[in-house]
Amino acid sequence: MFGVVLAQVINGLVLGFLYIVIAEGLSIIFGMIGVVNFAHGAFFALGAYFALTLRPLVGDGAIVILSPIIVGLAGMIVEATLLRPLYNKEPLLGLLLTFGLALFLQELIRTVWGARGHPFDAPQFLAGFIVYGPILVTKYRLAVLALTILILIAVWLFLEKTPWGRVIRAGSRDPEMVSMLGINLRTIFTITFGLGTALAGIAGVLAAPLWSVVPSMADLAIMPAFVVVTIGGLGSFRGTVIAGLLVGVSVALTIQFFPAASTAVMYILMALILLVRPRGLFGERWERFE
Amino acid sequence: MNQEIASLLGREFTRCSQQQLSRKRALFLIALALLLSVGLSSWAAAQSNEPIKIGVLLPKSGTYTVQGENGHNGAMLAVEDFGGKVLGRPVQVIWEDESTPQASVQRMRKMIEVDKVVAIDGGISSGDILAMMPVALQNKILLMASGPNATEITGKDCNRYTFRVDLPSHVTVRTIYASLSDNGKNKRWYFLSASYAWGIDSYNQMRDYLKAKDPGATIVGQDQAPLGTSDFSAFLLKLRGSNPQVAFVTFGGSDLTNFLKQFQAIGMTGKVLISSPIVNDSDLWAAGPQASTGVYPKLWNYSGPYNTPKSQAFAKKYQAKFGEPPEVEAWQDWFGMTSILTAIQKTGSTDSKKLVEFLEGYKFEGYKEMPIYFRSWDHQLIQPVIVARVKQKITDKFDYFDVLAQFPQGGAKELDAFYGTKQEVGCNLGPL
Repeated sequence: MFGVVLAQVINGLVLGFLYIVIAEGLSIIFGMIGVVNFAHGAFFALGAYFALTLRPLVGDGAIVILSPIIVGLAGMIVEATLLRPLYNKEPLLGLLLTFGLALFLQELIRTVWGARGHPFDAPQFLAGFIVYGPILVTKYRLAVLALTILILIAVWLFLEKTPWGRVIRAGSRDPEMVSMLGINLRTIFTITFGLGTALAGIAGVLAAPLWSVVPSMADLAIMPAFVVVTIGGLGSFRGTVIAGLLVGVSVALTIQFFPAASTAVMYILMALILLVRPRGLFGERWERFE
Repeated sequence: MNQEIASLLGREFTRCSQQQLSRKRALFLIALALLLSVGLSSWAAAQSNEPIKIGVLLPKSGTYTVQGENGHNGAMLAVEDFGGKVLGRPVQVIWEDESTPQASVQRMRKMIEVDKVVAIDGGISSGDILAMMPVALQNKILLMASGPNATEITGKDCNRYTFRVDLPSHVTVRTIYASLSDNGKNKRWYFLSASYAWGIDSYNQMRDYLKAKDPGATIVGQDQAPLGTSDFSAFLLKLRGSNPQVAFVTFGGSDLTNFLKQFQAIGMTGKVLISSPIVNDSDLWAAGPQASTGVYPKLWNYSGPYNTPKSQAFAKKYQAKFGEPPEVEAWQDWFGMTSILTAIQKTGSTDSKKLVEFLEGYKFEGYKEMPIYFRSWDHQLIQPVIVARVKQKITDKFDYFDVLAQFPQGGAKELDAFYGTKQEVGCNLGPL
């Protein structure tokens, strides 16, 4: 029994870290720009689809870097052309835009790549699995676990230790002050949006062999991302990490013991945490939104 | 033309209200506009031979996308078989997406009220069909359910205007059991069901049948996963941990494909006997030769014994037109559409009442090795079922199955009883 539970927990960690990468992108975009990006799941799906198309051309390794870059670029174009005009307007407009964008992108995917699912196998060198008693993990999942942790460390280092990261964090606290200090806020916004969507994109590439490349995969990403960000607290890096792990492991363990509730458990968790801490576990007061 | 009438009316009304003219003028103009538009449309209709519209409700997206496309292909081939027309009028097929029960009902209403279809063929998901059946009854429109398997569709929830082509779960269970049990040798069974009408119904049917046939068997695990689950890893850990000999997986479409691929990824292919109450060829084609495994009940197979000249001709035509052999879903909608068109042709009418009465008494010959028919008291298509096992070595891109046997093994004389007695089935059809 313990062995099976441990195996499920490992599964849950893989799931959790994927959710964290997606949710971090969402959190960064919201924290910096103040936009709730409903289209985040669509960018996740685009990451997988670009990887699908590019794979025969550039190979397994390159798509992990190339696909998110293209998704990030697409995100930056979307931000510059569609979102920027709406910044000084009513917040509801930005919301509606990203919502409509989500629907549009999903239909675009369906038109370009077809409604059928596409097979997307893990790279050959990661085929197979590792058995240790009752614990069984596929090599690919372990690789995804390692990669997502590395990505998150890299993002954290970027935000905490580099000047650009500091600007981004400062800009989410006090955009007026940042612009008064002579920093071009517009460019920062665009780059941030690009970074956020690139994170969604890389999660899409990594998740493609696990979740199947289908147009509806966007939905698989967006809902857990919102739940994770809500539980952890919008704009908190630490909160997103803890919330993501909590959600991932809860889902995996619920499948083990109470499978019928496995899709509902993350929402129940969110409801319970919000009852106790309405801003999420590590949510902070945002003067801009109070 | 209409725009000009509208702007004309607009100007007239403005003038009327300004001058407080009598209503006579306005009424005259409205009458003129109406006459013109009615005249125009009836003129247009008289120009073309008014088509007979038949609705097809099959998925264009989601888990069963591939089956939806293939089913639609089969239905279109049936129309082609009739030369594209029946009773001297062209046949127009309207294909709407079957996505969720609510959306399917809405689209069905649209097809009935707006498009004025005379009959509807389709339905892969039992949940969708169960929601659509009351609409068929209410509107007195023939619903030919080609794809769903839930028992209650021709069981306790049956109605006079619904016919079903596909196999009810209690028949598929009865067909496959012997192959899975292996004379009682396989005692440890694990169940993984899709968490909706058909998945749960199939699980219930097999569980009850197993308990009745082999009281010594153990159900080592029983789980449900939502339709559209793409990541089965957690369930596979449970499956592996419970060490079964048989795993009965009531999933279809891309879910089954994903399951088989992930099953293979953890090295379990060949170690546990896999089965499902139905299987679509395309599910296995998508899983690939390495991951495909199992023995299944199947409504029809494009190759192998038990295939009649008529059905073989269909397979040839399909292959020529679409570049791949037809999977079973294509045959189901081909037959469903054929039965609708046959009924229209032979009754000389598009009135669903007459079509229903016709189908209740007609025997379709040549489609399978014995005549098949829609039973008059439950509208279930009574047909033989085959048992198909995935080949040990798959060399052809599409030829995945060895057809092992046909049920009922006693032949045509056992056919009706194989689908249950009136008491067992529990269907009361009601009046027309």
